[in-house]
Amino acid sequence: MLLRGLSWLVLCQLLGTALNVLLLPMLPGPIIGMLLLFGFLLLRGEVGEPLHQASSSLLKYLPLLLVPPAVGVMAYAEAIAADFWAVAGALLLSLLISIVFAGWLMQKLIDRQQRREDV
Amino acid sequence: MSLEWQAAWQAVTHHPLFGVGITLGAYQLAMAAYEKTRWVFLQPVLVSMLTVIGILLLCGLSYAEYQGSVAALTLFLGPVTVALAVPLFLNLRRIRQLLWPILITLAVAGVFATVLGVGLAWLLGAEQIMLMSMAPKSVTSPIAMLVASQIGGIAALAAVFVMITGIIGAICGPALLKRFGVRHQAALGMALGLTAHAVGTARALQESEECGAFAALAMSLMGVVTAVLLPLAILMLL
Repeated sequence: MLLRGLSWLVLCQLLGTALNVLLLPMLPGPIIGMLLLFGFLLLRGEVGEPLHQASSSLLKYLPLLLVPPAVGVMAYAEAIAADFWAVAGALLLSLLISIVFAGWLMQKLIDRQQRREDV
Repeated sequence: MSLEWQAAWQAVTHHPLFGVGITLGAYQLAMAAYEKTRWVFLQPVLVSMLTVIGILLLCGLSYAEYQGSVAALTLFLGPVTVALAVPLFLNLRRIRQLLWPILITLAVAGVFATVLGVGLAWLLGAEQIMLMSMAPKSVTSPIAMLVASQIGGIAALAAVFVMITGIIGAICGPALLKRFGVRHQAALGMALGLTAHAVGTARALQESEECGAFAALAMSLMGVVTAVLLPLAILMLL
């Protein structure tokens, strides 16, 4: 069951990679693969048990898989140190402001839509 | 007889499984610490990252060697990204109900996040190459790396900025959003995914499945839109 779902995921990613080389050089293979799988699920109208099992087991380990790219920070310590305050300040401030702004905007828009539906 | 301690140590630290071993170990420790304390600064990705960097420095191993030995783990990032289509699909009904809020937030807040990051770094005096590596900071690292190299930044630096942004977002995001009165799961997820990509999405999945689905949606939309529009925008501006 798990393996069958996993095969679907790998297949979508490989198709995505092919499309990436053939037509869409600006989108990475996995993102195209996700759009493909999403399109396939839309056509099919439901998520099969094998796919559900494979995707939920994999997604549980998403933070683990992000550790190796995060460790990459150490390779660029010098380049970051040179511009440290500018980079750190800009990253921190822009993130804090934009995350609050995004959440606030979305909440406002949801509230407005709900009010309009109530009327 | 004398035991070859030095040789054994070398054999262990340079074994292809050493990188996987310390990553798995560090991650489980970090997860256990997080679950026990529920303290926001103990984000599993951050704690594991610091632990692994510490071990690598102690053992005198380079990032290149570590990267080679964890290639098997990194390989699965592809299928996991594909797997995000499933929560996205399962929450389609709720997403459809909120179609306009999603599209408007994506357009306005997405542009805002990108412009604000680059603008602040420029004001604080960062170099052009830094700015270009920083522009795609809010999107998932494979896209960010591609976009950065297209617009004249350094791909690996972009990945680093993406990671830093994601980790800060996961640590401060939920508490900050709640303080500003953002309670709706969809709004929380949207903000986390839009600004803090995969790390934010992983954090959103801890909140609730709905929150995670909106984060995955926001992350992928932001990724696609940035990949297509940012290189065009830079081309027109410069």
